[in-house]
Amino acid sequence: MHRRDFLTHGLASALGVFGMSASALAIGDDDRFTVSLLKYSQQGWNTRPTALRRLLQEVEKRTSVEIKPPPDGDHVTFGPDLFTRPMLFMCGESSFEPWSNERIDMMRQWMMAGGFLVVDSSEGVSDGPFLRSVRRELARIFPDEPERAIPTDHVIYKSFYLFNNDQHPYAEPHGRVEVDKRLRGHFDGDRVPVVISANDMLGAWARDGFGRWEYDVIPGGSPQRELSFRMGINLVMYALCVNYKADQVHIPFILKRRKWRVQ
Amino acid sequence: MNLEIFEQYNSGDVLWLGDWGMFWIVALLVIGVLVVGLSAYDLKPLKPVRRWTLVALRALVYLLAVAMLLEPALDLKNVSKVKNNIAVLVDTSSSMQLKTLEQGEDDQGSSRYELVSSFLPEFASLVEREKDAHEFTFFSYGEALAPSSRQALEKSKQPTAHSSDLTQALIGLKKHYEGKEIGGVIVLSDGLDSGAIGRRTKRGEELDVTSQALLAELEAPINTVAAGRAEGLKDVAISRILHEDFGFVHNKLSVQVELQVIGMSEMSFPVTLRREGQVLQTRQVTLEAGKTRYTVDFEFVPEKIGKEIYAISVPVFEGEALDRNNRGYFLLKVIRDKVRVLQVVGRPSWDERLMRRLLKRNPNVDLISFFILRTNQSLNNVRQDEMSLIPFPTQELFEQELGSFDLVIFQNFNFGPYDMRKYLPEIEKFVRDGGGFVMIGGDLSFASGGYARTPIESVLPVELPPGSGDAVIDKDDFRPELTEAGKRHPITQLAFDPATNAKLWGELPEQKGTNIVLDAKPWATVLARHESLTYAGKKMPVITIGEVDEGRVMALTTDSTWRWGFEYLGKGGTPREYQLFWNNAIRWLIKDPELKLVKLEMAEDTHTPGSAVPLTVRVSKPDYTPAENVDGELEIVWRSLDGLSSDAEEQREALPSIAFKTGASGVANLEFVPSKPGAYELRAKVSVADGELEDQSTMLVVDDVREWRDIIPRDALLESMANLTDGEHMALPDASVSDFNFAEPRAVKINRRKVIHLWDSALTFLVILTLLGAEWTLRRRWGRL
Repeated sequence: MHRRDFLTHGLASALGVFGMSASALAIGDDDRFTVSLLKYSQQGWNTRPTALRRLLQEVEKRTSVEIKPPPDGDHVTFGPDLFTRPMLFMCGESSFEPWSNERIDMMRQWMMAGGFLVVDSSEGVSDGPFLRSVRRELARIFPDEPERAIPTDHVIYKSFYLFNNDQHPYAEPHGRVEVDKRLRGHFDGDRVPVVISANDMLGAWARDGFGRWEYDVIPGGSPQRELSFRMGINLVMYALCVNYKADQVHIPFILKRRKWRVQ
Repeated sequence: MNLEIFEQYNSGDVLWLGDWGMFWIVALLVIGVLVVGLSAYDLKPLKPVRRWTLVALRALVYLLAVAMLLEPALDLKNVSKVKNNIAVLVDTSSSMQLKTLEQGEDDQGSSRYELVSSFLPEFASLVEREKDAHEFTFFSYGEALAPSSRQALEKSKQPTAHSSDLTQALIGLKKHYEGKEIGGVIVLSDGLDSGAIGRRTKRGEELDVTSQALLAELEAPINTVAAGRAEGLKDVAISRILHEDFGFVHNKLSVQVELQVIGMSEMSFPVTLRREGQVLQTRQVTLEAGKTRYTVDFEFVPEKIGKEIYAISVPVFEGEALDRNNRGYFLLKVIRDKVRVLQVVGRPSWDERLMRRLLKRNPNVDLISFFILRTNQSLNNVRQDEMSLIPFPTQELFEQELGSFDLVIFQNFNFGPYDMRKYLPEIEKFVRDGGGFVMIGGDLSFASGGYARTPIESVLPVELPPGSGDAVIDKDDFRPELTEAGKRHPITQLAFDPATNAKLWGELPEQKGTNIVLDAKPWATVLARHESLTYAGKKMPVITIGEVDEGRVMALTTDSTWRWGFEYLGKGGTPREYQLFWNNAIRWLIKDPELKLVKLEMAEDTHTPGSAVPLTVRVSKPDYTPAENVDGELEIVWRSLDGLSSDAEEQREALPSIAFKTGASGVANLEFVPSKPGAYELRAKVSVADGELEDQSTMLVVDDVREWRDIIPRDALLESMANLTDGEHMALPDASVSDFNFAEPRAVKINRRKVIHLWDSALTFLVILTLLGAEWTLRRRWGRL
């Protein structure tokens, strides 16, 4: 890098030469928020290539998070690049070969350092070959921490949008389909480093180049798709803020507002 | 044997010198019975007179033989009685100075001690009268027992001992007379005992078991003479202040004050609690007839870390016996229980995420986070109550609660959209008053966040350029370069060894752009600079710290340090460097005492005038190794107590400094003797290459006023001591020395002694032979072989 004297920049700015809006900027584009798919095998890892870009567009529209839109099918593989993406999605609809021990260690280290993995099955069933393969690998990563249903009062259900509790029908991971009413995951203390959804959330978010939804959402149609985006945004906010909404200061506000329901 | 010899002795005993055990004595008796029994049986055919004559002779012979074996002797003694000891204990504590007034008497009455000293001459006749039976010794007692004489005690008119510890005096007495007999004790006192007996036995209670046991150990009657009476006494005393030695900042503390009031009419008066001379709270006490003890409770919240001097005071009323007990002082060490951190974030990001994780995982941090999750520009297609967003409580945070935080973090946060301009002076004041503040970079920080020419800029350690937006941001990757100060400073010292530290900084992931700032402020220290961006010929500061009045600030112009804690792992690193950097930064920002390079330590904070106070100064190098042979100076400033406990103007006086030099372990041991009561501010200063370092502390020097906290005579305590030990209790001036009760001497003295052996004479042998011969002759004559 060449040495530059930035005083001229500052003065130029004062003169309005660089008149960009500050709110549109992040320091380096690399530090804007982005997510990628995990390329966990040679094939079948990219069943919903357009979904994450659409999710991030919604994140940028609805929240204060500055995003870096990923190209369709953006991914990382097992290696140092894994540690440039603290949040990853993993989707698929078929089984895959067991990972090497090295990869298992790497994924464990990534999650323990703060990495957040969202596993979303495109299969449309709650116990398809993809999810079985995922569960096999996760059991190796968390040998002492079995998969558990995420409680409906978990902060994931209130990290941005409010989802209701058991008495109401919306505390569930809405996606293209609704085959499992609960998000599941593995816990590290009170943090959930890996979330598993069987409802194909990415399928509900996927949109083609012309803006058309790639998949119908059943059985709930548009409201279900909206709730699916809300769940996606909540997952992003959980990745970025973790249990921020569980802080004591938020609780009275959240309890007061929990009576809503989407019609 | 000449019988005149017995006239020289007035006492005698029979001794048995033979070393026979009980077994053998019993065995000899049994054998004797057998011998007599068998003889009586064997001689049955004889006439009874002959039979029992022979049996009697045999029994006599046997008894004489046994007596020879037991070696009897006569112990003759000439003895006379020994005098036992009478100890006269005179209380010389300062409460004995107090006047004792009769009802209606003016204030010219005698002091308690004067009553005692006018009574002491009467002891002359007592000593003379009892000279054959008792030996009198006079002692004074205050903190300890000291031998004295009646004449000396009579002459001493001004008792000055700080306390009267009767318990220690009695223990000392027992030791003094070890091996000797105590025939009695006479205690002349007002009964105010600051020792164990007085403390354990409350007014109106019986003597406790431990005190009873202590008195019983003397095995002598304790006669008590009460000097002084409660009648006519008028006083309001702060008898006790119950407080903790330390408290946690921003946490409620309780202080209980016990008052003793006597001789006052029914009225109300204020009890005032002051902190460093400023009135903190006032409580009203309403006096009730017949009640002497009152309790007042204060609750308050210490607001600053450090040592604070508190004073409790009650008004001084006309005619009070004493005004010294109307004030009390204590020093409170205020420490941090948890570091209270306010993290304000302009938008969620990985930088925020890792910072929150670090802070949340630290058990010593109490974190309050506020993240702006949505702005006015964000699309809002749902009802407000479908979202978990809460209003940004700016007034509560930056006006009401700001002072409760130790550290405020502005992480990529711009104040503009939240109507916060009016609170920026509050944040500046928070920093100047001692708070910690760190601004972390991002597109909403520094000049981009609109902080140029605001009160925040005045406390930032860097100058901000004019303008905003893209022009004050550089997006190129870079790696911070440590400055000379940065190589040694605890914040940026990731390894002890400088070479290892430099290597670590070279390996950490690059930073993804930076906010543009101008130069560091003159009072700031740059720890790391940009590798290429320059201003006025100098590389741009990236990590800059500084002290603003009482507070500390830090400016970090990037938002990518999270990569040190995450991306670095992909390159074989650990999150340790990220954690160490920020934990050290937080510790420095909140002035963690452990990070001080100069530490002034003292074992105790409260002392009495004239007592030597040991002080230790520890000096460390920037790498925290001991700094050897460093010259320094201890500055001492005295502050008057009047200014701390009343509205009187505080007086200050700089005392001569004490020079010191550290030894091989970086330690200098000093001693300071405070000459008068007051608050002493101590400041240890050392000069090092980078300037002057210092640490300060405060100590409280107050007179020992334990004796003044309770001045109502304890006649009942003295009486119960006398009753328990069969002594007599009386009160001055009506006491009489004739009424004392003493134990008669038990010990005697042996002037002459003679032991006469009764068994080893020829006469005894001849008697036995004669008896044996008679028995043999008679037996033969009476037809027995």
